[in-house]
Amino acid sequence: MERNPYFGADFFNFFLVFASRIWGFATGTLGWNDLVSDEIQLLVLSGIAASSALVGTFLVLRKMTMLANAISHTILLGIVLAYFFSLRNVESIEGHGSGALHVPTLLIAALITGVATAFLTEFFTKALRLQEDASTGLIFTTLFALGIVCVTVLTRSAHIGTEAVMGNVDALQKEDCWLVFLILALNSILIFLFFKEYQLTTFDPALAQALGFSAMGFNYLLMVQVSATVVGAFRAVGVLMVLAFITAPVLSARLCTHHLHRLIFLAIAYGVTASLIGVALARHFLTSYDLALSTGGIVVTVLGVLFLGTLFYYLFLPQRTQR
Amino acid sequence: MLHYFTDPVLRAPTLGAMFMCAAAGLVGVIFFLRKQSLLGEALSHAAYPGVILGVILAALLGFSDLQEASLTSFILWGAFVTALAGLFSIYFLENRLKIHSDAALCLILALFYGVGVLLASHVQFTLTNFYRQVQVYLYGQAATMTDIYILIYALLLLVIGAIIWFFYKEFQLITFDRNYAQTIGIPTQFLDGILFILIVSAIVIGIRSVGVVLMSAMLVAPAAAARQFTHHFSKMLLLAMGIGAISGFLGNYFSIELGVSLPTGPMIVLSAAAICFLAILFAPQRGILWRMVRTARFRSRCQQENILKAIWRLGQGAGASLEHLKRLIGTNSVELAFNLWRLRVNGWLTHRGAHYELTPDGINRAAKIVRLHRLWEVYLVDYLGMGAEKVHRSAEEMEHILTPELERELTLLLKDPKQDPHAQPIPPAPFPTAEV
Repeated sequence: MERNPYFGADFFNFFLVFASRIWGFATGTLGWNDLVSDEIQLLVLSGIAASSALVGTFLVLRKMTMLANAISHTILLGIVLAYFFSLRNVESIEGHGSGALHVPTLLIAALITGVATAFLTEFFTKALRLQEDASTGLIFTTLFALGIVCVTVLTRSAHIGTEAVMGNVDALQKEDCWLVFLILALNSILIFLFFKEYQLTTFDPALAQALGFSAMGFNYLLMVQVSATVVGAFRAVGVLMVLAFITAPVLSARLCTHHLHRLIFLAIAYGVTASLIGVALARHFLTSYDLALSTGGIVVTVLGVLFLGTLFYYLFLPQRTQR
Repeated sequence: MLHYFTDPVLRAPTLGAMFMCAAAGLVGVIFFLRKQSLLGEALSHAAYPGVILGVILAALLGFSDLQEASLTSFILWGAFVTALAGLFSIYFLENRLKIHSDAALCLILALFYGVGVLLASHVQFTLTNFYRQVQVYLYGQAATMTDIYILIYALLLLVIGAIIWFFYKEFQLITFDRNYAQTIGIPTQFLDGILFILIVSAIVIGIRSVGVVLMSAMLVAPAAAARQFTHHFSKMLLLAMGIGAISGFLGNYFSIELGVSLPTGPMIVLSAAAICFLAILFAPQRGILWRMVRTARFRSRCQQENILKAIWRLGQGAGASLEHLKRLIGTNSVELAFNLWRLRVNGWLTHRGAHYELTPDGINRAAKIVRLHRLWEVYLVDYLGMGAEKVHRSAEEMEHILTPELERELTLLLKDPKQDPHAQPIPPAPFPTAEV
């Protein structure tokens, strides 16, 4: 591969180079194999942001984000066990090994973890009569601790769990794009197909029940989508920072609009914008200060700054009645 | 096992972790009872950027990575400040913007943690010596603690314990009856402030041994386990403290004894969770196992009484075959066979082949149940004005529940009636009713 064209670019030059590259891709002078690491990062992060915004909108509106938090912790155990049972080298979770990704295994792990977490939490609340906040807190921390112990035992290294919670954008390969966009497609199709049902079970669960739509069934479907999204994100941003992708854009967008459609599109826009600025900033820091900062961390910080900006706009600008 | 407390290398991690977890258990109880257990989850993640800011500040001021004690105090202060900032942000989002607490917690957790990761990557490249310190706080590592930590953490536990002891009555009041506390002039806002400082302190103390990611478990698990054993606030506090300390010890023990070098934090959390699950399953009174046993016993007693009643109804000396009983009771044969066996053992039933008859004791017992049933029907019709056709179902349940004392009261109140609303005779009382 030839030299990375973004090498030596600062924040503004990044966008100039980016624009010319897009022109290149659009006109066909550049192909799939010419993608460089910055663009892979941007693609993966934007895909994660879009997926997260789709599921995040309904999670926030249903007041179920803490369950997403629980899943983001428990997914570690799911991933480890998936690798263990598919007899793959657990070290390849970190992306050091070759053929690191086995998409069906990961998706099955996501499916099982999502359903199991939601089910266990509900079981502890309803059957064992533990209060809800405590059962959520207990289940995911325990499963996460088990996950870390499994990773440690299987790889015999105490530090290997860190990348799973911090992510490592630099280890991304082109294959990661496939997984992320497969999950994005899955999320889009499901949300598109069941939009009415999601809308109904979110805003009026009682009516939905009366009309014969199972609110619980859609809860579980949403949980599965969340865990698929987390699985798609864990190599890039880690299982914890994906929560910022799920909540921050939606809450920012929520300050601007009350319409569900606009909310979704605005949330996606927030996420993708933050990814773009984040990748550009990461390149800027590398060029200007020779600092290789965590791109995931930068993107989350940018999400926070965007939220703060929206907040100031919301608080200090005269309120309009129509939003 | 004792050498964990005396060995110069092992005693600091063991005692340190025990003090930390005890402090977390104490504070956890209050937030468990306020149903805010997940606050700890958000705040412990919010402490992460503070840990790293503390390291950066210490490095800027010229401390080296070997001056553990001063570095630790920088880290503790940094964690304290950002966790407090996280708390205020959550408060602001919830109260000012009316964002639901669930989303507010999640947002603060993820954003602060993200900033922490960003800062950590900065430390990794510019202050490489310190990076190990930063890593330790992610999952906790007790093993590298020295004796000075015992002092620091014992002091912090003492302060937290003293504050809870000093404000015990007030905390109890604002936890269980907030409105009442407000009306009698207790400064709830001020006490909330103290509680928030307590939870932040407990988290800041705990992250060294359990790590930011898992800290919230130590606030939940000991409290949830303690709740299974007691209804008293004070006992719950002490129990949670004890369970916390035990988990701290077991975590250290297993992380060393199991051969692989396991991180301490997850092991402490797993120990605490194991204790909590055992408590949920087996605790007397509230444990699931006992609940199931109690339910099964009651169910069996109800069916035994129904069997006696059914045979009694067939008339004096008639008796019933197994097939007949099965039709009357309508249950599975195993359960029926078991209950028939119990009745025979108790001497209420005799049988010839598959033909069952009541003994004199059994007749008395059956008559008593029918009496309770019909008394209750009279009570419902005469005193509660229900229609006579509606009372049977309620009486079917009450006949198993009414105690001899209640029977006496009912007899007095209804003046020992001889007939129920359906004109059926009520069996005579087993005690003299002359005083009626």
